[in-house]
Amino acid sequence: MYHKVVLVGNLGRDPEMRYMQDGTPVTNFSIATNEKWTGQDGEQKERTVWWRVSVWRKQAEACNQYLNSGSQVLIEGRIRPDPETGGPKVFTRNDGTSGASYEVTAQVVRFLGGRGDASAAGPGTPRDEDVPPEASIEEDAIPF
Amino acid sequence: MRQTIFLAGNLGRDPELRYTPNGTAMSRLSVATNEKWSGQDGQLQERTIWWRVSVWGKQAENVSQYLKKGSQVFIEGRMDSDPETGGPRLWKGSDGSDRASYEIIARVVKFTGQRGGGASFEPSDKDIPPEAFF
Repeated sequence: MYHKVVLVGNLGRDPEMRYMQDGTPVTNFSIATNEKWTGQDGEQKERTVWWRVSVWRKQAEACNQYLNSGSQVLIEGRIRPDPETGGPKVFTRNDGTSGASYEVTAQVVRFLGGRGDASAAGPGTPRDEDVPPEASIEEDAIPF
Repeated sequence: MRQTIFLAGNLGRDPELRYTPNGTAMSRLSVATNEKWSGQDGQLQERTIWWRVSVWGKQAENVSQYLKKGSQVFIEGRMDSDPETGGPRLWKGSDGSDRASYEIIARVVKFTGQRGGGASFEPSDKDIPPEAFF
């Protein structure tokens, strides 16, 4: 019926923007969310989760312009599954091993600043209508 | 630096209740979220996502008592990833192929279904083992 993902994390590398055949811009980047907690043994533990985020239309251009590796962002979006399985898409790497990732189509992006840069000034307030309802389908056509 | 996931969906099968060796209750739910929208061609599109949700502590017992296949539920939780990769854990399907799933650790479970009314359980964090929740 409904799902939503809210992430606050940092870009692992610079964003990459491309254009669809109809000229629609789409920007892709990975963000890491990092969580720390104290284990039962009293030791500090840490876990990083990586998310592959796609941003569409005007937001895509703003992200490409203002974000770079290390920038902090808030993302509100939806998970894009493998339509065959309803789970994460499993891919095969060049070395023959399998991998899978959490792919997210962003609906809202906010720039929270970065590690010592000026990206906080960016206009990170896109609207839902910037995201085409079929964005998640079209994006499967993008050659990564 | 955090992540939160919200789901409203239906159980694909009955919950499975287990106890860890130290006696902590844990229920596994399989939740489907089904979303529909109109494509550019005007045709109705549909997509289902399957989520493997684990519920801990007292809440796990409530879940296994009150929910069953088809029940509607609201979940707030976080994605439980493979600590090695930061992505989904891979496992082998019965056909030998690699599979992956969205594994969620629930913080909040609300029963939204018609059957039996709208009880909700918001557990205290201490119900969830520190390894499962952060």
